[in-house]
Amino acid sequence: MSAALAPSPSLRTRVERLSGAQASALSLAIGAVLWEIVGRVAQVPFFPPLSEVLVRLGDMVVTGQIVGNLAESLGNLVIGFGVSLTIGLVLGTAMGRYRRVNAMFGIYVYALLTAPSLVFAPIFFSILGSGRGSIVGVVVMYSTFIMIITTASAVENVSPGLVEMGRSYGAGEWRLLTRVILPAAAPSIFTGIRLGVGRAVTGMINGEMFIAVVGLGRIVTQAGKRFDGAGVLAILLVIIVVAVAAVALTQLVDRRITSWVPQTSKDAA
Amino acid sequence: MIEIRGLSKAYRGQDGSQVQALADVDLTVRDNEFLTVLGPSGCGKTTMLKMIAGLIPWDEGSIAIDGVEVDGPGPERAMVFQNFALLPWATVLDNVAFGLEMRGVGKAERHERARELVTTVGLAGFETKRPGELSGGMQQRVGLARALAVQPKVLLMDEPFGAVDEQTRRLLQEELLAIWEHNRVTVVFITHSMEEAVLLGDRVVLMSARPGQISEIVDVPLERPRSSDVGGLERSSEYSEITAHLWERLREMHAEHGRVGGIAS
Ligand SMILES: Nc1ncnc2c1ncn2[C@@H]1O[C@H](COP(=O)(O)OP(=O)(O)OP(=O)(O)O)[C@@H](O)[C@H]1O
Ligand SMILES: [Mg+2]
Repeated sequence: MSAALAPSPSLRTRVERLSGAQASALSLAIGAVLWEIVGRVAQVPFFPPLSEVLVRLGDMVVTGQIVGNLAESLGNLVIGFGVSLTIGLVLGTAMGRYRRVNAMFGIYVYALLTAPSLVFAPIFFSILGSGRGSIVGVVVMYSTFIMIITTASAVENVSPGLVEMGRSYGAGEWRLLTRVILPAAAPSIFTGIRLGVGRAVTGMINGEMFIAVVGLGRIVTQAGKRFDGAGVLAILLVIIVVAVAAVALTQLVDRRITSWVPQTSKDAA
Repeated sequence: MIEIRGLSKAYRGQDGSQVQALADVDLTVRDNEFLTVLGPSGCGKTTMLKMIAGLIPWDEGSIAIDGVEVDGPGPERAMVFQNFALLPWATVLDNVAFGLEMRGVGKAERHERARELVTTVGLAGFETKRPGELSGGMQQRVGLARALAVQPKVLLMDEPFGAVDEQTRRLLQEELLAIWEHNRVTVVFITHSMEEAVLLGDRVVLMSARPGQISEIVDVPLERPRSSDVGGLERSSEYSEITAHLWERLREMHAEHGRVGGIAS
């Protein structure tokens, strides 16, 4: 039989052979090409083709608009998310472990989780003004509650047998938490942290659009008011990069801490 | 010596119903005795063991170890769990060292001690593996090593070999006997298997259900050490007599419960 007769791999098997990174790169390339084509064909002011947006982005970087505002926004994000994470882990653990704490705070946490977080922006603005405090407040309102709830359920669902084992070997409450319960809950807690990171980025941008005089959210609003479509999308690209980088960083930490979870069960998830 | 006097416990179900798990149990476990506990499912074996471990409270009665009332877990007792209860993120060595860590033993010292026990249970070379990489039998060896590491006077084992296959169970039984011959601690060992109860125990405590009570205590006068030739032991007439007697009694219990709509098996 000649080699020419051998069936070439189908598209499906080719896609299956791609590594994760290759698949992402391919998908990005397709997206970029589509954006360029649609942008050129549509000819609308608020959806310029990718090439135009990239040129505009280059300009903004050179004139220093991006760097200063990006630094400002990242500051808001890091502080806001840090506060959220601390509250989320502490209150979430307490709620998952102690029925009374859960009864006391559960109702508020669920109410605030479902409330549209942006309604708190004017409140922070009127109390704290247009400075960093307000933006941090908005970020916290966006990202804390989901992390509280996922942490609480992760802690609650730790196998009672494992907790009993810990107690039988004389573990006090603190050791039980730090040596048994939190490590066991870590994989589920990280799911919540990842969601929290995403919401923190959204909160940062929305808060800045609403309140701030500096930051990415602020300059995207300004670009919109100037009908600078390429500028809006250029900043949006930066925001997306920030969000993706933040999530990637979380995953990196997640992998280090929960490396014991069998890889197969992660693939299946 | 473990002295259990008038021990009673009722669980309250969420629908308000009550289950009398234990009713007025009296039992004395002698020093350095290997006591096996046998009984139908739901007769309160685990409940009793966890009470000795200090893990759950009881309604009435008392448990004393060497004259000291049990009030929570204590360093002279260690438990081996049916489902192993290993920390999946920790290495074999850290799992074995867990009890020592909880007692505040420093890292170097507890690892040294843990390494010895890993060897004792035949897992040398697996120190850095995680439980997920081990077979069930190997996982329970880790569970046993963890219990032995704290040098308990009383070893509490709740169907420790119930979750492993028959061949592995035989090996584990022999190894447990060998370890125990070497280091005779008091053992309370729960099992569903008559053969296992007779093979391992100095005495077999037979429990009955609803309410959980001790129905009989059977002496097992088989010669020790029993570790070397399990098969030979099983061919002895004494061994068959005792297991036959136990089976008789268990069958009676099951028949009674069948009548009141209990376990049908
Ligand atoms: N936490 C609990 N809440 C309510 N009822 C319980 C609880 N734990 C045990 N029981 C009940 O108490 C009785 C004794 O339970 P236990 O687990 O001690 O039995 P067992 O002899 O260990 O059974 P098995 O051989 O199946 O392990 C059973 O009827 C069981 O349903
Ligand atoms: Mg049981």
